[in-house]
Amino acid sequence: MASRFYQWIDRRLRLKPLEQTLLNEPIPGGASWNYVFGSATLFLFGLQALTGMFLMVYYVPATDHAYSTVQYIQHEVWGGWFVRGLHHWGASAVMMAIGLHMLQVFFDGAYKRPRELMWIVGVILLAMMLAFGFTGYLLPWDQNAYWATQVGINMVGSVPLIGDFLVKVLRGGETLGALTLSRFFAFHVAFLPAAIVFGIMLHLFILRRVGPAGPHDEARANAGSETFYPRQVFMDALVMLGVFGIVSILAISVEFPLADRANPSDHTFIPVPEWYFLFFYELLKYAPGALGPLATWLLPTLFFTGLLLLPFVDRNPERHPSSRRVVLAGGLSFLIVVFGLLGISLRDLYAVPKRDPSVARGIALVQEFKCQTCHRIHGEGANLAPDLSFVADRRPDRNWHIQHFKNPAAVNPGSFMPKFPLNDQQLNDLTSYMLTLKSG
Amino acid sequence: MEDGLSTPVGTRRSFFVKTTVFISSLIGISLAVPLIGYVIAPAFQRRPKEWVSLGKTDELPIEEPKALDYSLTEKDGWQERHATKGVWAVKQADGHVTVYSPICPHLGCGFRWDQQDRLFKCPCHGSIFNIDGTVKAGPAPRPLDTLPSKIENGNLLIQYEEFKSGLAKKVEL
Repeated sequence: MASRFYQWIDRRLRLKPLEQTLLNEPIPGGASWNYVFGSATLFLFGLQALTGMFLMVYYVPATDHAYSTVQYIQHEVWGGWFVRGLHHWGASAVMMAIGLHMLQVFFDGAYKRPRELMWIVGVILLAMMLAFGFTGYLLPWDQNAYWATQVGINMVGSVPLIGDFLVKVLRGGETLGALTLSRFFAFHVAFLPAAIVFGIMLHLFILRRVGPAGPHDEARANAGSETFYPRQVFMDALVMLGVFGIVSILAISVEFPLADRANPSDHTFIPVPEWYFLFFYELLKYAPGALGPLATWLLPTLFFTGLLLLPFVDRNPERHPSSRRVVLAGGLSFLIVVFGLLGISLRDLYAVPKRDPSVARGIALVQEFKCQTCHRIHGEGANLAPDLSFVADRRPDRNWHIQHFKNPAAVNPGSFMPKFPLNDQQLNDLTSYMLTLKSG
Repeated sequence: MEDGLSTPVGTRRSFFVKTTVFISSLIGISLAVPLIGYVIAPAFQRRPKEWVSLGKTDELPIEEPKALDYSLTEKDGWQERHATKGVWAVKQADGHVTVYSPICPHLGCGFRWDQQDRLFKCPCHGSIFNIDGTVKAGPAPRPLDTLPSKIENGNLLIQYEEFKSGLAKKVEL
């Protein structure tokens, strides 16, 4: 049935030569599990595109709806948690697949002449994937999204001369807000996908023009070849199934909850970037003072410049690892630094005390009693009563706050603040929150 | 060709081809089921029915239709919307109250009570109903739609429902 249909189409569109070109590309040295990483990356990118489109069915990129729509997807739409889980874990998986793909190409010396262009396009694709990760992270508009993006944008601000300009362009305004969200959304779902599809096509076009590199071992490479179809396709498919299985199991079993809705006035929140940015986050801790800004822009610039120039710096035509000890040692030291920093960062993250629950309850009480009808806290609220943004600088004494909440006029004669009906725990919680409001 | 380095042929080839097709279908189906369900599920979700109070029944005049308005919070996807709805209530001499949906069963216009003729009249296509809801004239295919109602502690409670228009039978939307 399928073949009769295919023949019917083939008689009209003459697909056979196309099929020949697509599937019968010879692979020197035969199919191998070493070559599955590119296909796995492509598969995961497709999965991201698909789940992303489906997320857009309900997602609204506006600050007053983004969080509720993600909540709606997560908790109310049938299967929504699974679709979001696939997209979340798929993002991590695609980064891993790219990492493994690049390692394989690096180890096999497959970036060398005549494949320099394929490597360069690949490095640009890596940068685009990181941009996907960065822009996508803001979209749920929860506390983590907001504050991690704030940090990310501030890092861009350290670029000399044009830093301020870049920050303004990224934010779309003076502060991170509605305009930032809508432009991050547009980049995440329209500009970047269009650009990356072009990049992927170019990457594959170059692959077909120069052909696969094959094994670094000449004896194996010269032993013969086999076509891409069916054995390499079969291996790729098996790996795709494995990858899909892992991402699905993660989506089903590891919940990825939203933090609270983004609150620009809550400076107590400690954001955590995605794990693939974590090593860099950790590195910044070791770059004190004047070195800080250099680390935030100089290192990434050096990293990408180094990658782009690699095929031109390492011109040794030899691909076998045993003849490339210096380059491989360089790559290995880079990996040790990255994974060392990632390890330290992960260890520290789990040691970070989570926010004091008392402070969290205090923040909720401020909302409940509508304190911001009169007080301003970090730019939010009216200006009728004293600004509380840094109240702990002026009033560091716990007891003062408790007495003041009990009877404002008794502690502060002439105060028109009402006595709120607070029990002891509420007094303590509110005071705990007040004491976190300090400049230092 | 040496062993393992030639393109597979025969049964070995067909094993690879068939397994690849099987794997692709497996991934495709595992994705299609949740994704299609995800898109269409909200369309088939029934809104939960709640009893809403329309006030005391002793304030209603006997054998005299009265338009009762009430406000409610409707869920529209992720949004909550405050809406005002109106229904027609007719109290009989025995104290029983009939509540009519405000929507004409013909094509969904809002009908009115004509005090002079003592008839419900729909201005769109001229359907006319008696006070008991039966069709007196016009194209309406069925009587006015009654809403589930009950009286508790003198309060009139109803469940708001909408029905398909243009059918001879009352079918809930």
